[in-house]
Amino acid sequence: MDDDLPTDFEVIVVGTGMVESIVAAACSRIGKNVLHLDSSDHYGGLWASYNFDGLQKFIKEVNADPKRQWPVYNLSEKWYIEKESSEPEQNEDKKEGDENKTDDSKAETQKKIWSQANFTAEYRKFNIDMTPKLLFSRGPLVELLISSNIARYAEFRCVTRVLTWLNDRLAPVPCSRADVFATEAVSIVEKRMLMKMLTSIVGYNEEEMNNEFKDWNDKTFKEYLTHKGLTPNLIHYVLYAIAGGTDKMPCLEGVKECKKFLMSLGRYGNTPFLWPMYGSGELPQCFCRLCAVFGGVYCLNRPIDKVEIKTLDEGKRVVAIQSKSKTLNCNNLVVGIDECPKEMLPTEPVETSDISKAVFITNGTIMPSEKEPLTLLRFPPLTEEGHAVTVLEVGPATGSCPKGLFVVYFITKMVKDAESDLQQYAARIFDFSGDQTAESDKPKCLYSLYYNVKDTSVPVQSVASEVHVCAGPDVGLDFDRAVEQAEQVFKKICPGEEFLPRAPDPEEIVFEDDVTHGPEFARHDDEEGDAQ
Amino acid sequence: MHGRVKVRTTEEEVARKQKERQEKLKKFKYAMQKIQGKRNQGELDKELLELTGNVLSSNPDIYTLWNIRREIFTLFLKDDAMLDEMCALYDAELQLTEYCLKINPKSYGAWHQREWVLTTRSDPNWAQELAVCNKYLKLDERNFHTWDYRRFVVSKCKPSLKDEFDFTTEKLHDNFSNYSAWHYRSKMLVALFPDVEGGRPIEDSHHKHELKMVQSAAFTDPDDTSAWFYQRWLLGAVRNSVKLVVVTVTKSKTTLAFNQYVSHDYVKDKIQIVFNKSTIAGDWISCTGNQYDIVWIFKHTETIQDDMEIEVEHDGDNGKNVVGCVKVKPFTFIGKNQISFQKSYSEPVLKELETQLDACRQLLALEPDNKWTLLTTTVFLYCIDAKKYHNEVIENLQALKSIDKLRIGYYNDLITKWCIENQLNNYHGDNSISFKISFDEKISSLPHLQFYSHCENVDLSNQNISSKGLPSLIVLQNCKNLSLNNNKLTTLKGFPSLELEVLDLQNNDLDKSEVDLLKEKLNCNIIF
Repeated sequence: MDDDLPTDFEVIVVGTGMVESIVAAACSRIGKNVLHLDSSDHYGGLWASYNFDGLQKFIKEVNADPKRQWPVYNLSEKWYIEKESSEPEQNEDKKEGDENKTDDSKAETQKKIWSQANFTAEYRKFNIDMTPKLLFSRGPLVELLISSNIARYAEFRCVTRVLTWLNDRLAPVPCSRADVFATEAVSIVEKRMLMKMLTSIVGYNEEEMNNEFKDWNDKTFKEYLTHKGLTPNLIHYVLYAIAGGTDKMPCLEGVKECKKFLMSLGRYGNTPFLWPMYGSGELPQCFCRLCAVFGGVYCLNRPIDKVEIKTLDEGKRVVAIQSKSKTLNCNNLVVGIDECPKEMLPTEPVETSDISKAVFITNGTIMPSEKEPLTLLRFPPLTEEGHAVTVLEVGPATGSCPKGLFVVYFITKMVKDAESDLQQYAARIFDFSGDQTAESDKPKCLYSLYYNVKDTSVPVQSVASEVHVCAGPDVGLDFDRAVEQAEQVFKKICPGEEFLPRAPDPEEIVFEDDVTHGPEFARHDDEEGDAQ
Repeated sequence: MHGRVKVRTTEEEVARKQKERQEKLKKFKYAMQKIQGKRNQGELDKELLELTGNVLSSNPDIYTLWNIRREIFTLFLKDDAMLDEMCALYDAELQLTEYCLKINPKSYGAWHQREWVLTTRSDPNWAQELAVCNKYLKLDERNFHTWDYRRFVVSKCKPSLKDEFDFTTEKLHDNFSNYSAWHYRSKMLVALFPDVEGGRPIEDSHHKHELKMVQSAAFTDPDDTSAWFYQRWLLGAVRNSVKLVVVTVTKSKTTLAFNQYVSHDYVKDKIQIVFNKSTIAGDWISCTGNQYDIVWIFKHTETIQDDMEIEVEHDGDNGKNVVGCVKVKPFTFIGKNQISFQKSYSEPVLKELETQLDACRQLLALEPDNKWTLLTTTVFLYCIDAKKYHNEVIENLQALKSIDKLRIGYYNDLITKWCIENQLNNYHGDNSISFKISFDEKISSLPHLQFYSHCENVDLSNQNISSKGLPSLIVLQNCKNLSLNNNKLTTLKGFPSLELEVLDLQNNDLDKSEVDLLKEKLNCNIIF
């Protein structure tokens, strides 16, 4: 194939998932010559966000060629609403009629009746995540986005509330100081106990930590909380909702998770979490953008066919990649696990548990609130063998869906398959009747998609030291492991180099003879002269 | 290298900033000179508005410039040609202050200018102004400048009290460490929900609700003092009327002591002295010479006989109160009133306090050394039944002295006050004219001393009274023998002019020369 793509690079990155994109940006940022490829026509790989049309294509693709997106399986899509609105025109009229009435509140409560055709018509207003995740406000990704100055490419919204499933209903979790003050769900003595527990977990230094927990190594977090005299309600909040754990959670892990949660409080909003506008799929693209700003070359729709390690005359090794009848050479290949040719992977498979996921599109929030909510709901396991279930509900304000709808993600470790693992949880908070006109205290589910994903998050050592395999998404709530792995890969490729130093703002960039007057953005020649 | 960008080093950056600052300074000096020049020439025009505006937008705290701008506006107002433009100018001025407040949200000058514009112009938009305040309070919910200004705006646009009350709820739910919000809430509360029937400041159900709310804040974060302030205010929100506590009539003097400070007008209007059934005329003199006092001296020309019938009528808040005087020794008459320091809460509020006391006790069992829990428990005990819980209250305060060493003085003063109150419980029937501390705790200050203004013998020996307490002795208007033996006196400065016969100052760390001086001033026998 004839294209003008250069053939020799220091680093070639294949796959635009989170880990790959961070590595690409980090290499490009310190001056490495980077080529970044993806076999699909879009960014993100398993971390992508799709509009409704893109999602349909993805489903079709997986169904038609299971090998293409091999980590994804068990896809099951279902509609709960009509293909077409039965009387769309009349419906519109009725709505207008209502608006003309003086009774405003009635007009507001009049809900739109959705049809599949409405989804198709507004497909561009959807951003549905394959790997929905939150950022801890003081977690490694937020810190990295700030320190590297990549944050300016991204926009976030604060998660407005954390809910849990307590005594057979949804309950807000008092997690911040303001929440604890305002809640009427716990007595004042409990308030004091809860605040004391939370502040002491945050406040322990290492020595106090070792001291306090020296006898708790082999015990569960629940045993610790019980020992501390917390009431069952408080244990529920701390264990299931704040630590995101189960009855089996080891004590030290629970403390660590609580600390992580609590340390992130009070930075941006009333909860410790941020949600990326337009979906988690935006984040890999922010890193790609930085990579490109520093000279990285991008090529989508470019699958690779074969990878070989060649030894040159002086004993120097290069990685040769066959792609569309062209050979691309590089010193280091960084490749996402989903794009990695089998011959580069070790023969024994890694033991992993898979992930069950679901996406629901509903016509309202699971718990009404004054302003549009952005919710993290943590279900404790409802069955003996089940795992905790993480639920994220995002609304139109996040750019995830059209007005009037909510997108709700479910994530848990797989036991049987996505549908049987998650359906019982969904049934507790949604109405699956499909009857949009009937009165109900639960939101109506309009669309559902269940699927399983192989957990590819365990780091895999490739057969060659020049080939670095990047892990896929894990079941966890945040991006922390991806950031950690990206940094490790980068350190291997560029030992001793700084990982994503702060990128300058445009006004800090100097154009040769322009030092005194500050940033006038002009003179293309000079810029090029400088570059050479 | 291809595609690399060159970035300034930190040194270059520092140098650039330095240079920028110098240039700014030059511009600033030039502008200030020009402004003063123009003003001296009397050129109060639009150019001067622009010049001052430019400087203020980066330095909003230069009062002089705001003053100059008001001068210009005042001049424009007199000019009919400017009439059409004034509205736009006022709007621009509001925009300028808003811009300045973005730079410094605590700029006194900018807030004041805003107030001036709105009160000067004929078409102020108060509703919009209230929205501005709320916007600023969203950015910084504790900015007292904004709260203060907001109260001004509220006084003009008069939103409903309920809305204002709800506004404080909203702000406190965002962050309850907010003195301004609690304070404003207290004002709304008494205006919105007074207990008309019971004559108390706050209606029961609301009093209860507030107590609950503040307890919730206090238990969420006990180290935050804003909630405690509000709690104390709530606990003190009971009926509080003026009472005459003791009348003393001797040949030389007629004195009246009250439970709280009252004004000259008050005693003149509300008190009548009746000797042998006839009201007598006289003048009221404060014992300290202040406008408000707790002990007032009645100057009259009547002669005191040994067999007089003396009554004092007090036209108080709860109707007329007549205090009859009894003769305690020849030519000395004393009249006392029943007194009580017990706060009188309504039944529901008292129930709530008991519930909260219970919660405190539970917590105290969990964390016995927590200062805030112990203090709150103690305050509740005192408020619910000071007499019944007296010993526990004092024990707790003693414990607090060792837990919270920084506030030993505060706890000592509380012990003093509450022990004296306890001693005063048997005050009414006692016609002795001697006063002696009857409890083991040592007093560190002199609260409620006016209750003993009738005493001839006051024994304050073996206490911890420091020289700071000396001025309070002025209320001992009838004292002849005063003992301050073995106290913590270090100087006699501030010792009031009392008509003493004997003063015992032994066992204090005092200078002899000071004692001699006092002896000369008081003309009495000083034991030293």
